[in-house]
This record gives sequence, C-alpha cells and structure tokens, in this order.
Amino acid sequence: MNRYDCFEFLVPSMTDQLVLGSLSGQRVEWGHLSGHPGNLLIAIMGAALGMGIGLALILPHRKVIVLESDGSLLLSLYNLPTLGNLNVPNLSVFVFDNEVYSGTRISEPSATSGKTDLAAVARSCGIERATTVRDLDSYKREATKALNENVLSFVVCKVEKTTGHRQIPRPTEDLWEHKYKFVRYLEKTEGKQIFMGRG
Amino acid sequence: MEAQLAKRIVGGLKDAGISFVSYLPETRLSEIVPVLREDPSFMIVPVANEAEAVSISAGASLGGRPAAVYMEGSGVYVGSFNLLCLGRRLGVPMLLIVAHYGSVLDARNSFVYAMPGIHLIPILESLDIQYVIFTNGDNLETKIKGCVKMMHAIKQPVALLFSGEFTI
Repeated sequence: MNRYDCFEFLVPSMTDQLVLGSLSGQRVEWGHLSGHPGNLLIAIMGAALGMGIGLALILPHRKVIVLESDGSLLLSLYNLPTLGNLNVPNLSVFVFDNEVYSGTRISEPSATSGKTDLAAVARSCGIERATTVRDLDSYKREATKALNENVLSFVVCKVEKTTGHRQIPRPTEDLWEHKYKFVRYLEKTEGKQIFMGRG
Repeated sequence: MEAQLAKRIVGGLKDAGISFVSYLPETRLSEIVPVLREDPSFMIVPVANEAEAVSISAGASLGGRPAAVYMEGSGVYVGSFNLLCLGRRLGVPMLLIVAHYGSVLDARNSFVYAMPGIHLIPILESLDIQYVIFTNGDNLETKIKGCVKMMHAIKQPVALLFSGEFTI
C-alpha cells in the first residue's frame, strides 16, 4: 500500500473537516494534493496528535483528522493514554507507518519494523477502535468508517517506503501564512473571532 | 499556597479570558486545580507530559479558546521543543502557568530543586518567551491580564512564574 494512494482516496472526501499533519513526506504529499484551508500542517514531529486533541475537544461538532507517521507517534506516545481517557469522538487518527525513519540521506528502521504494534499500544491505552490495515481496500473501508462515524478511531496504515515526495515541489507558503489561512478559515466557518487584540 | 491565592489566580485567569487549561499536576500550585475544576467556564485537560500539554493547548488556542498550560518549572524543559516550534515558530498564543521551583524565594527549595530552578529563566530567555515573576499577591489580577494581553498581541507564549508566597 502506498501513502500517496491513501491520500488520493481521502482528499475528495474533505469538506469541512480540519486536518492536522506532522512532518516528513506526508506533509509534502498532503499539501500537494489538498490546498484546503482547513489543513494545518505544522512541520514538527510529535505534536500533530496533541494539537488535534485540543482542536477536537473545543470543536466537538467538527471532524478533526490527524495524519501521523510512525516516527512522529513514537516520539509522542504520551498522547495515547490521554486520548484513551478523553475518548474524543470527533477525532480520527491515521498513522502512516512505513517502519522507517526516512530522510534525504537516511533510511533507518523504526521500532514498528520490529516488535512494536502501534494499534495494540493504542488499544492498551483505552482507544477501542484501533486497528491496522495493510492493503488499500481495507484502508478505504476503515477510512470511510472513520470519516462517517462519530467515534474515536485510530487506524495504523502499513505503507511502503517511498521517496515520491522528493519529486514534489515544496510549498512557498511559510508557517505563519499557513496558520493565518487556517485561523481565518475557522473564524469564517465558526463565526467567531479567534485572534484577539485591537489593530 | 493559601486557598485565597489559588482562588485569585483562577479568578484572574477567568477575568483575562482564559477558558482552556491543560496541566500536569505538581506540588506548589496544585490548589488551583480543584478551583479550576469547579468552574464550568474552564475546560481542563490532565495530561501525561508537558510537551503534550503545550500541543493540546496550542490546538485549543488556534481553535478559538484562549488557552493556558499549568506545569512545574521542569515542564518548561520537557516542553521546550514544542514551545519553540508551536509557540514561537508557528506563533501560537498561550499562557504558561509555572511553579518556579528551585528559585531563590521558593519556600520548598532544596538541593533537589535548585539546579533546574536556576536555569529556568535562561531557558525561557533563550526561547525568547516573555515572563513575569510573581512572589506575592500584589496586583496579581492586573498582571495576569497584562500577560494575557501580551500573548494575544505577540501571538506567542507568555509565562507566569510563581515563587515566594505561592510556594508555601
């Protein structure tokens, strides 16, 4: 299963959902496929899931989707007990697990290439709807359920190691511009002021 | 800390517009937790790690609820990468409510706390995070309000460091 194919399936379903993304090739690929203003691709490992929890808690009427990687989630496993206890129903987490730390010069195995089963870790933390998918049909089935049901879901997607994102041009939009686009979109769709202060 | 001071801290947060607090409990300021919990205007989220608290409050902040993180001084060390990347680089306003353990006026100071206490302010300054030190209740509410105004103005974290009377 290829991460890009998974994203291509997900993108047409994006309407008013909020999408949090971490770092790595998935940020480049998702940003390339989706220019939706509800995207917040924060370019840091280990924080997308936490931010998604915060957003989902305060906007319970909005579906929040978190795109994580195995490396990013392993860096922030402390989120899982918190998430299991909070049981945030409008949050769907997809972990694209290629079992490797993959940079432009490295390809080193992550713990999930060994004995670590992230879905099992999530279940042990109280996230009941945690599962692993290994082929595109299973992914499509779980993704459709996750998008359409108001239940906390955690889908570990076992994907191939790919380098296709290296061929995609990087965005010129910097992080502050990206953040403002997201916040202005939320202000418009939620009908409330988010950034305070007099001009 | 006297119960009255805890109530004043929470009242100051509320008056300043804070309505979301993620926290990892600690000893010195812990009296604020039940006060926060009893007030339905606050959403409070207990966490397992201060870096997590920073990211959860960052999400709440960008979603439209002025947010704080309550933690011990050690949490600034643990959460520093997220403070840098979410607070500074992405520019997310959030208030840090920090028990300044190991500071000179920390009533519970000892060899256990002094070293991390000494280095806390240099860490905040290296992150270019604005801070105000509180050692007693003088002008407490006014200072909290000023810090919250500042965090909105600069769209960055601002820290309240509590020592002295708050650590008794």
